[in-house]
Amino acid sequence: MESMYLLIPLSVLLVLGIMGLFWWALQGGQFDNVEREGQRIFHGD
Amino acid sequence: MADIQAFGSNPAPVEGVGGWLLGQHRGPLTVTDDFSVLDDPVEQQDFTQDCEVQGRPACESVLLVQGMYCAACSDAVESAIAGQPGVLSAQVHAATRRLIVRWDPALVRISDLARAVGDAGYRLLPLQQALSVSERQAETRKALWRLFVAGFCMMQVMMYTTPMYVTEPGDIAPDLLHLLRWACWILSVPVLLFASGPFFGNAWRDLRRGRVGMDTPVSIGILVTFIASSGATFDPTGPWGSEIWYDSLTMFVFFLLGGRYLELKARDRTAGALDALINRLPERCERQQADGAFESISLKRLQPGDVVRVQAGQAFPGDGLLLSAGATVDEALLTGESHPVTRRQGEALVAGSYNLAGAALMRIERLGRDTRFAQIVQLMERASTEKPRLAQLADRIAAPFLFAVLLAAALSGWWWWQIDPDQAIAVAVAVLIVTCPCALSLATPVAMLAAAGALAKRGVLVRRLQAFEVLAGIDTVVFDKTGTLTRDRLVLSQVLVRPGLAPAQALQQAAPLASASLHPVSRAIARAAQEQGLALSAFSEVQELPGLGLQAGQGDSLLKLGSAGFCGLDEAGLLGAGQSVEGQPCSYLVDASGWLATFVLDEGVREEAAAVVAQLHALGLETRLLSGDQSQAAERVARQLGITQVVAQASPERKLAEVLALQQQGHRLAMVGDGLNDGPVLARADSSFALGHGAPLAQAQSDFVVQSGQLDELVAAIVLARKTLAVVRQNLLWAAVYNLVAVPLALAGWMPPWLAGLGMAASSLLVIGNALRLARPPQSRPV
Repeated sequence: MESMYLLIPLSVLLVLGIMGLFWWALQGGQFDNVEREGQRIFHGD
Repeated sequence: MADIQAFGSNPAPVEGVGGWLLGQHRGPLTVTDDFSVLDDPVEQQDFTQDCEVQGRPACESVLLVQGMYCAACSDAVESAIAGQPGVLSAQVHAATRRLIVRWDPALVRISDLARAVGDAGYRLLPLQQALSVSERQAETRKALWRLFVAGFCMMQVMMYTTPMYVTEPGDIAPDLLHLLRWACWILSVPVLLFASGPFFGNAWRDLRRGRVGMDTPVSIGILVTFIASSGATFDPTGPWGSEIWYDSLTMFVFFLLGGRYLELKARDRTAGALDALINRLPERCERQQADGAFESISLKRLQPGDVVRVQAGQAFPGDGLLLSAGATVDEALLTGESHPVTRRQGEALVAGSYNLAGAALMRIERLGRDTRFAQIVQLMERASTEKPRLAQLADRIAAPFLFAVLLAAALSGWWWWQIDPDQAIAVAVAVLIVTCPCALSLATPVAMLAAAGALAKRGVLVRRLQAFEVLAGIDTVVFDKTGTLTRDRLVLSQVLVRPGLAPAQALQQAAPLASASLHPVSRAIARAAQEQGLALSAFSEVQELPGLGLQAGQGDSLLKLGSAGFCGLDEAGLLGAGQSVEGQPCSYLVDASGWLATFVLDEGVREEAAAVVAQLHALGLETRLLSGDQSQAAERVARQLGITQVVAQASPERKLAEVLALQQQGHRLAMVGDGLNDGPVLARADSSFALGHGAPLAQAQSDFVVQSGQLDELVAAIVLARKTLAVVRQNLLWAAVYNLVAVPLALAGWMPPWLAGLGMAASSLLVIGNALRLARPPQSRPV
């Protein structure tokens, strides 16, 4: 059970890290137009 | 639709993916305009921002792509631009028709890009609203970011709280429990400080104005749960007890933000549609100078009376007259009719419609706010900012309701504190969250906006959102005759001919004569011949005797077209011989040997009018005809259409008196008219429709403007209004039932705060989803 004392703080850090990653993706405009990628299937190359 | 092949893709799937802005597809447009205006640093400020790409300075421009109506187009525009040197990235959004391009000012000019896009068949326009677009984008990003923070923290907090739910007290070591609570607290802080920002912001704004808003109970709920949970985390033996509510807190913030995000997206679409409408007019146009050369000037410097050249693909900058021989224009904005129309020399052109083929010269008559285009924009803006009466009612109820909510929450908290202090905070928070009357205040406006949007797509403008409420309750439809039920021109209804002659032959003979004259009768005959596609021989000399008729040829080849007297015929004799029709205007054709044919004319009753009247009767509505015309003509039209109640020879005053009398009898009526003389009645009637081709004053007095002038839109509007009211009732009923069920549950302590948050967000979304059913077109209009 001692590992919990390490894992719980680690998971908190991981969550914060993933949120940072999402922030980066969002500011890069990846979520500005989510339909766009789906529509590519209709375009010949 | 040949243009679609140019992109090598099939248009069929487009309907489903691109959303509702993509309904029509416009052809590729040849653009030859001068784009140097885009390079002007002052102008550029409007749509370009400095940015940095991989450490190098670059520019980011947001431009509107004109002529783009499907997903395949966005690809074409993108590839046209991406091939240019100096372009770092280019993205086109199909639904909003925005191009976002990042480019290196050292390598490329924006006008080059515009030309490249022009060669691909589209047009780049600077957005006057570029700023608002980037603002809106930032807003959407921020909303998504808040939603993600709340959602992700919620999931993780749930992980940390699950052990506390599934174990017996004492199973977890106290210091591990403490660690879990700490972890929950850390992840709740961003939810409180960042994700809940909009709730606190709104609540604070309301508080400063001394009001209680929707977000006040929500904010109090968030704060109370957080403070209580923090107390339990740091001092489990203190006054806040040992219960923590982090899971509830993060969950209801997430659900509420989810609801807000979907609302934001829906609003964005509406704003985008309005933008596209406003951004139609060109920024610059080519004015003809005194020496005949053209100069490119800003639209703002254009004066009425100027002659401008409008290139193919451009929108006409103002209302005016066509000077070139002919032009193909797209007036879809004004009429909802997606087919191109042909305009001849001297005919009127309207601002905001597109010139589709070849350069056209026009003389400007009206500009800016005087144009019909500006009136339409104004109508749209006004309608979209107005609150319907039912919504105002809901808002009035909301404030006292919210006070009651706060009181109920406080009382229930106090009550539960006596019985079970552990439960008190949860109950009070659940009451606060569950009763938020979002659904109630959304119920009406969201339905009416959706209906107005659906009608706008059909070319029917709604001037007041309130009008839906009234329109759904009408029992009588009153029509004006001329211009409303009939076209304001004569049409050929029948051709009586000498034995051995075919009607088409008679028409073939008469048409060359008729086409030499502008008299309404002649024009009706010429038009009929043209519609039948008859080959016409040209007469060299046609003589017009004003008020009598036309003649051509000499001796044996003499041909006369005109009144009975002019043709040397006896009207009574013709009637007796069945060679004429009583009570309808007739024109006669004679040759050297006498009577040849009789052209019977009719006021052109609109093709759809009879069907529309029948449909109105089927909807349980009474129809009446109120005409300023002769009673004989009015009655004939009424008979033809199945309208039984006719008032003829009515002056505007008489019309008004008739309408007032009907209203006093308890009728609630919709008036349909187009002319200036209908203005007073349109204003007085409970609900009113003006036809798009009519006088601007008539339009200003009415609730609905049917741009296409098609009467069947009237039926569609009435059906939609009834549906809208039904949806509003469903929404209000749902909101009421929801509160009636949820509030007692929350008071009784059977509803944890997270369920309250879910219930509230779900009820708002249900109301919006129900309203969006109205935005779907009921059926495709026969073209």
